[in-house]
Amino acid sequence: MNIHFKTAWDYIRRSPFQALAATFVLSLTFFVATLVSVLVYSSSKLITYFETRPQVIAFLKDTASDNDIANLQHKLQTNPKIQDVKYVSKEEALSIYKNATSDNPLLGQLVSPSIFPASLEFSVTDLSYAQTAIDSVKSEPIVDSVGFTAALGGETSLNQVVARLRTITTYVKIGGVVFVGLLAITSLVVLLTIISMRIVGRKEEVEILNLIGATQGFIRSPIIIEAFIYTAFGIVLGWAIAFIAILYLAPTAVSYFGEIPILPESALGIFELFGIIFIGEILIGLVLALSGSLLAISRVKKER
Amino acid sequence: MSTEEIGIIHFRGVTKKFGTHLALSDVSFDVKKGEFVFITGPSGAGKTTILKIILGELTPDVGEATVDGFNVKTLGSKDLPLFRQKIGTVFQDFKVLPERTVYENVSVALAVIGLPENVWQERVTHVLKLAGLSRQINLFPSQLSGGELQRVSLARALVVNPKIILADEPTGNLDWETSDNLMQLFEKINAEGKTIIMATHNLDIVKKYKKRTINIVGGKMTSNEK
Repeated sequence: MNIHFKTAWDYIRRSPFQALAATFVLSLTFFVATLVSVLVYSSSKLITYFETRPQVIAFLKDTASDNDIANLQHKLQTNPKIQDVKYVSKEEALSIYKNATSDNPLLGQLVSPSIFPASLEFSVTDLSYAQTAIDSVKSEPIVDSVGFTAALGGETSLNQVVARLRTITTYVKIGGVVFVGLLAITSLVVLLTIISMRIVGRKEEVEILNLIGATQGFIRSPIIIEAFIYTAFGIVLGWAIAFIAILYLAPTAVSYFGEIPILPESALGIFELFGIIFIGEILIGLVLALSGSLLAISRVKKER
Repeated sequence: MSTEEIGIIHFRGVTKKFGTHLALSDVSFDVKKGEFVFITGPSGAGKTTILKIILGELTPDVGEATVDGFNVKTLGSKDLPLFRQKIGTVFQDFKVLPERTVYENVSVALAVIGLPENVWQERVTHVLKLAGLSRQINLFPSQLSGGELQRVSLARALVVNPKIILADEPTGNLDWETSDNLMQLFEKINAEGKTIIMATHNLDIVKKYKKRTINIVGGKMTSNEK
């Protein structure tokens, strides 16, 4: 075993509670960082979903003829900014309603196709065009009213829905960064304190090593390695616990959000997401361990 | 060949002050390669200050100290470790690493000079045998006597094959018999061509081993004779 690694490991074994404190705080930081990263990913996916798939429904008047409907459908289909144009007849609307109320069949029996308006459903390729498309369709004589999906409550336009989602996502990002930042600073301070204590405890050893001609690199290596060991344990533990927790909660969350892909659908996608988070955390860990140990070392006055 | 040419240590008018206390005053001497020199004097005379200057722990306020071609005063912090790697030091208080075994205490010096790990065992075993510590190889300092600790300190100094060995009161904490055994070991090492500078106030040892003796009193060199 490399002498520096052995020295670092020996010091960790000799002060298990200091090592535990450092590992625990770092694990907590990386656990929260992993959760926040997944939350940011999911909220981004949520907003992307609404941005790219704003479903607009143009309810048609009962008086609309098949020809008028076909013309409007054709007009929408030829618009490059509009996609997935679909005609939903009264009968199909009833069928959708029955499916939606399948847990209460009585509701389905009480209605007939005539009370449901036929409709044209479509989405826009670019969110900025959504309101224009809605306004344009509204002005069509055969259109009775225009609705859109995904209203979170009280929004009167699709832009408001997306704006509200963006605000929520921004809050999640800022809140996450602030929270993870505070935890990272706490980790740095804990690391700094523990490494400083270690240096003070090693004062005699450092003095001896200096006298027998050890370079600063030789003396510092075990200290830096020790910080790396704490950080490595912190990353692996924090990340793994968060990974398990998210895997455990994923089915509930996915089922709650339905078709909105808040998490990658395939196992490979999940591993890819967590792999990226893990790599990111390793980079942050490197910075934490290096800055913590070097700051602690810089506090020790040079002998000569 | 002049003294300058064959000498390994040169002190020229070295003066060192600690605040208002004059530790060394205008001290000049030379040490040749392979020489064994005692530095004697009462406690606080300045013996350790001389050794510390040779080791680069202190720098002269006035004068010049040259060790193996290096001017101690102008040594940069990057050169200092390399400079010290050429000097083996035996300390009065042993300065062994308390949580390392005898083997580890000696091998750390090899790690410091960057010797590959695969040659450590052979060199450490050899030097521990020379120091009479073969049976204590896996013991910790707390399990050793004062004499054994001093020999660990000497073994660590020797293992890097230094040009110069500094010994600061190596017999200070030892009984006569142990001191004598240690001195015989120093003689043996000196016979192999190592330069040894030993600070001591043990006049019995000085008398018995009859080496050149530099006497310091109150920071001033009072004699320099064989």
